[in-house]
Amino acid sequence: MHVDHLPALGWSLEAAECVRRLDEAGIEKGVVMTIVDAPEVNPHALELIADAVAAFPGRLEAFARIHPWYGDEAVALLERAIVELGFKGLKLHPVTTIAHPAEDDTLRLIRAAAAHGAPTLFHCGDEPLTTPLAIARAAEACAEATIVLGHMGGYFHVDEAIAVAERHPNLLLETSAMPYPAKIREAVERVGAERVLYASDGPACSPRIEVEKVRLAGLDPAAERLVLGENAARLLEAVR
Amino acid sequence: MIVDSLVFAADGLVEALDAAGIERAVVCPPRARGHGYDVENDRVAELVRSHPDRLVGFARVDPLAPGAGAELERSLGLGLRGLFLHPWEDAFAIADQAVDPLIGEVPVIVATGYPWVSEALQVGELARRHPQTQVVATNGAQINISGLGQRDALLALEASPNLLIHTTGVYREDFLEGVVERFGPERVLFASGWPRFDPRLELLRVEWAPGLDDDARTAILRDNAASLLGLA
Repeated sequence: MHVDHLPALGWSLEAAECVRRLDEAGIEKGVVMTIVDAPEVNPHALELIADAVAAFPGRLEAFARIHPWYGDEAVALLERAIVELGFKGLKLHPVTTIAHPAEDDTLRLIRAAAAHGAPTLFHCGDEPLTTPLAIARAAEACAEATIVLGHMGGYFHVDEAIAVAERHPNLLLETSAMPYPAKIREAVERVGAERVLYASDGPACSPRIEVEKVRLAGLDPAAERLVLGENAARLLEAVR
Repeated sequence: MIVDSLVFAADGLVEALDAAGIERAVVCPPRARGHGYDVENDRVAELVRSHPDRLVGFARVDPLAPGAGAELERSLGLGLRGLFLHPWEDAFAIADQAVDPLIGEVPVIVATGYPWVSEALQVGELARRHPQTQVVATNGAQINISGLGQRDALLALEASPNLLIHTTGVYREDFLEGVVERFGPERVLFASGWPRFDPRLELLRVEWAPGLDDDARTAILRDNAASLLGLA
């Protein structure tokens, strides 16, 4: 889920709205992150998320969006996020940073997160720099890291996302906004329910609709429980 | 009644509509492979004849193919009620002037959001050149899971009152809500996009969108399509 204020885009995404949407969907906990990155274009991105999490104890967890091109500063921001502020993961959106998933600066951040057992969530859609095959290069270079393919390939790269997840055991598939319930079922059948994660991309995408999308996939109850919560809980608990 | 403003002719269509509780649908030809669109248009016309109370057919042509205009006229003579264009699958640019001779009185659905050939502003150019024609852009006039296409979609809608959008697969329900708030619910039509998309999920984008009131839902799910298609 996203918490951020971006007047240029006309987007204002509030933590309270995230929690309201979680309640509406019967969801206990959500992971929140900004839309833009620290230190640019928002030098206070970490604090924005830390404040959101603090405002709703027990309901929200934090991922840090950090621009890989800031070198030592980027790594220091990630260390501060995880060690001091209790963040649980790294989020990278190469559309906003134009940093390739497998370039050295990006790999350095992924490895820094992995040193704490923290996953890296990539936006994985149809745009250049975000496709499954590009992110798979990072998964190959950082076998010790858990890397999540957010949106599991978007509209036109879903089959590739499932295929690269079959090849790389450190890749997980995340369901948000991807519009094909049948592909969630296929992903579970091909890579295992332990490596498919529910997410909503809320509050602007409806968490309630996104949950129903998973239910429309027709998984068996044990697999559905893994996808809707147990896998994410396991990832969050592993961070040290 | 729910009217689905875009499905494609394929085995299992009526069963899929039944399963989702959809009474009527606009059916379009899938991409022609190994033959011309005359074959696909004939199939759609036959499908409509088999389910006249359920289906309204649209014709499809490749605007760059010889005889495209004549094929459209022939198809309309078979009872098809509009034109479907897919610039990506049929490899043409929607703003190409070769498209213009095909645009007339019947509504036009354009597969929209495909890079280079049917971006929202390109479809908007077609709508601008033909202000008397209702042009319907699929997928909210943008297929982008970062939301990068939304600004252009809004600009295109602002520029051309005859441009409408489908709801299929739209990234973020608040985009649909924003279009309704800014331009009115009459600019938005429910479409499932079956069989690529799942009608059960696509309906929820409208039925469960937090910011739509009942009047807007009724317009999107039924009234706008009925008006566009002249349904009783």
